[in-house]
Amino acid sequence: MSESSPELDLQRLADLDQLIHAPARLMILTYLYVVDSADYVFIMHQTGLTWGNLATHLNKLEEAGYVEVQKTFNGKKPQSILRMTDQGRAAFKAYKKSMQQVLDDLPE
Amino acid sequence: MQNPISLKGTERKAFQSRFADGLWDVFLGCFALQFAIAPLLGESLGDFWGSMIFLPIWGVVYLGIWLLRKHVIAPRIGVVKFGQPRKAKLRKFTLVMLVFNLLAFFLGLLAMLNFLGDERWFFNISAGLFPGLLGLFILMAFSLAGALLDYPRLYVYGLLLSVAPLVGEWLYQNLGATHHGFPIVFGVAAAVMILTGLILFVRLLVKNPLVEMPEQGA
Repeated sequence: MSESSPELDLQRLADLDQLIHAPARLMILTYLYVVDSADYVFIMHQTGLTWGNLATHLNKLEEAGYVEVQKTFNGKKPQSILRMTDQGRAAFKAYKKSMQQVLDDLPE
Repeated sequence: MQNPISLKGTERKAFQSRFADGLWDVFLGCFALQFAIAPLLGESLGDFWGSMIFLPIWGVVYLGIWLLRKHVIAPRIGVVKFGQPRKAKLRKFTLVMLVFNLLAFFLGLLAMLNFLGDERWFFNISAGLFPGLLGLFILMAFSLAGALLDYPRLYVYGLLLSVAPLVGEWLYQNLGATHHGFPIVFGVAAAVMILTGLILFVRLLVKNPLVEMPEQGA
């Protein structure tokens, strides 16, 4: 079997990081990748996710070590600042590269 | 057709959210309003105090915008800090605006000496050329700021403010408008900018009502 056989190319789809591949998490990570940090409200506003949905996805990303959540106070109100970790950045870059490769290799 | 997804585009969209509240439009509108009111105040307060009186007003407007962003806008659209590429672009913007402000200061000084009839000055700007030069200067400053800040409305404001001195001069020479037409043309430009800002501000408040959130990250 040659390296460029369709079976091998499609296998790459299964190798994609499934934690990142979910649309909502991909949106969250894309925003966190391009900024230094953002709070919950900003990410919720930009992605259009609901509060509960965002919290669920962020928990998964935090558990995987892709995102860190820093809890602070803005006056008397609690504020959670989200930041992508180095591990998260590396995983996102790898995901982007794999995805690009898979899409480039797909037949017309 | 939908635009393709790109990281640059996402970053730009995130940065442009800073201008979505319209408060910078109001701030720039107040800047234009200064050009409309200063000539009128100059008659009673003199040219120097007619302009200087705006310094505390600027301070109050800036403080008001800062408070609105902190207490009204941030709870609705959130807070974000940008990475190194954006910070580098902002540093470039600051530098370019510093150069433009210094140039504006020296050109203003030159124009003042010129109008006072000081003949020691080498550059003798003709009065007819002055509105054109001022317009060109404003257009360049706003266009550069628009490009560096990814703030497209600045191109429109730049165009609006750059034609203002020319239209004002025309009104002065043909229809006898006072103060070279500045109160009319800059007043109209300021009204457009302030109204745009207010519409954007109200629209943002309506589209993003403040809701009680559960504890963040809970």
